[in-house]
Amino acid sequence: MFDDTALMAFLVTWMAASLRFAGPLLMAALGETFAERAGVLNVGIEGTFLIGALVAFLATQTSGMPTVGFLAALGVGGLANLFLAWMYVTVGANQVVVGIVFNIFAIGAASYGYQLAAGEAATAELVPMFPKLDIPVLSDVPVIGQVLLSHSVLFYLTLALMILADLVLFRTRFGLNIRAVGENPHAAANAGISVSRIRYQAVLLSGAAAGGAGAYLVLAEVGLFRDTIVAGQGFIAMAIVIFGRWRPLYAAFAAMAFGAAQALQLSLQLFEMNIPPQLLLSLPYVLTIVAVSGLIGRANQPGALMQHYKGH
Amino acid sequence: MPILRKRMAPSDTLLTIVGINAVVVLCALAIGAILFLPYTDNPFAAYATLVESSLGSWRGIGITLNRAAPLILIGLGTCVAWRSGFGYLGFEGCLTIGAAGAAWYALRPFNAEIAGMAGFLVFLAGAMAVSFGAGGLWAGGVGFLRSRFGGNEVLISLMSNYVAAFFVQYLVSGPMRAEGSLPQTPRFPLGTWLPTILPGTRGQASILIALVAVFFVWLLMRRMRLGYELQATGLNPQAARYGGIQVGARYVLAAFLAGGLGALAGLVEVLGTQHRLLDGLSGGVGFIGIVVALLARLNPLAVVPVAILYAALSVGGDALQRRIGAPTSIIFILQSLIVLFLMASELLRHWTLDLSGLRGKKGTGDV
Repeated sequence: MFDDTALMAFLVTWMAASLRFAGPLLMAALGETFAERAGVLNVGIEGTFLIGALVAFLATQTSGMPTVGFLAALGVGGLANLFLAWMYVTVGANQVVVGIVFNIFAIGAASYGYQLAAGEAATAELVPMFPKLDIPVLSDVPVIGQVLLSHSVLFYLTLALMILADLVLFRTRFGLNIRAVGENPHAAANAGISVSRIRYQAVLLSGAAAGGAGAYLVLAEVGLFRDTIVAGQGFIAMAIVIFGRWRPLYAAFAAMAFGAAQALQLSLQLFEMNIPPQLLLSLPYVLTIVAVSGLIGRANQPGALMQHYKGH
Repeated sequence: MPILRKRMAPSDTLLTIVGINAVVVLCALAIGAILFLPYTDNPFAAYATLVESSLGSWRGIGITLNRAAPLILIGLGTCVAWRSGFGYLGFEGCLTIGAAGAAWYALRPFNAEIAGMAGFLVFLAGAMAVSFGAGGLWAGGVGFLRSRFGGNEVLISLMSNYVAAFFVQYLVSGPMRAEGSLPQTPRFPLGTWLPTILPGTRGQASILIALVAVFFVWLLMRRMRLGYELQATGLNPQAARYGGIQVGARYVLAAFLAGGLGALAGLVEVLGTQHRLLDGLSGGVGFIGIVVALLARLNPLAVVPVAILYAALSVGGDALQRRIGAPTSIIFILQSLIVLFLMASELLRHWTLDLSGLRGKKGTGDV
């Protein structure tokens, strides 16, 4: 059963699928990194993820253009998080509570919106998706081409965003302000930084990214919408942020590990093994638990994470 | 001249609080009314149907109480955990695990022939112990990771919900599966079903179990030393530790109790309503129960009326789906908006209307 060709096929499909699944997780995690670095634990990205997926689906269905769907998801994700930012920063409500209740709202809203738009006959109609990168010759190179060079254009966009996010966070004044506000808001305020403004901006970024991640799911992987499509991936993205020690570059590796856990269940279908599918399906969630359990080193989180700052 | 003026301290008169809460609920109901519009011309009639079908008849009240029981139990679990400073969010999982425990016990061969009230009570005690223990260990594990290794209980408990769901999915499609096309266990023997206690309705003993739990949690939190220690831990862990309380052990205990209470919600669900274990049992109850506790301000006694109101909303929502085809997601939206608006309305208490500027020259401007 484990002959070389089968093993090779397994490894190639597994690695390719790992990267494919890692994409949306990484995109959402990049945004969450900004929010948490600014001191806001945005649990609402799970719900934003779902709303982004619905908006991307509907906008692409109407316009026929995946780009429109993606941009719409970014916009609506940001807009929804304007409300969240207001709750976190201006009202100063408990961030976990706001996020969790918002997620319930998002499930209701997405399911309502989908039913209203699709009507009774909720057909499994595919929307146009983003094209895959197709470099002549190179994309067909065995192994390397298949694993690295044959993904949706959104995947490469996410990689570019990862580098950009790392540069912004550690090489620009804006990034410095974000880290200052998340580490010690009082000191930052004394230095003339508007804590609320920076936190609003960071939460809006995380919302747009989560919306974009939802669009990624629909427009590069699935092609349709289901209200179970996200199923905790927003929470997994939050674990990736912790696992990646609040650094975009490390988050990429963490996302890959979680993507690999998700992909394993698909790739193992090549072999006829007697493993209950539920065991493999629960793997990413178990991995998340292990990652944030504190068993493998305690993470040094931003100093003012989840702390409300009274002032401007 | 600004019409809104910031107060020095938030207003806390009864009038302000009742007034703000009324405005908040009306706002949420107004949004609900808009959501009903595609399905009916008259949203007010929809609300009338909602109330009439859930609280307007004995039959409706029976169903509402059945649905309130799991919400009360999860609300209680939330009170215990959160008041102890343990931000547990894994009640979907506890419910699922508790349901599995109760189902396993109900399907033991020695429970096939239960005779008489005494026999049933013995069975119920056993089932509750198994279910409570299973859910308690499930959540207690999270408490252990938090207190021993400094784990992040928010994410761990959220993830454990999915793991529990897959675990039960595995049980009902593998080891515990009944003959037939559906992934579910065999039906429990009749003697294990919770009896109906409200004559002429479907109202079951589940509400009694929930009310007894309310009493015990109230006793624990208000009258017992342990409850005091738990709450001291929640209010200020450093001070509690200085006062000689073993903070880590209290987290684990709070998690165990909360998980057990959440598991009982699963027990009443399978022994009362479903009479078998099946996939997708919780369907959001684990989170709505948290919302109920939040609205009750983590007060175990206040959980009861709030849970009944929220259960009435969801029973009414089901009736509306049958009659006018309005999706039940509207109820989810309503239930979450009420809390979100309530939290936001805290801000309103910091402001006051200052109409003196509008009255022209006579107003003095500042009072």
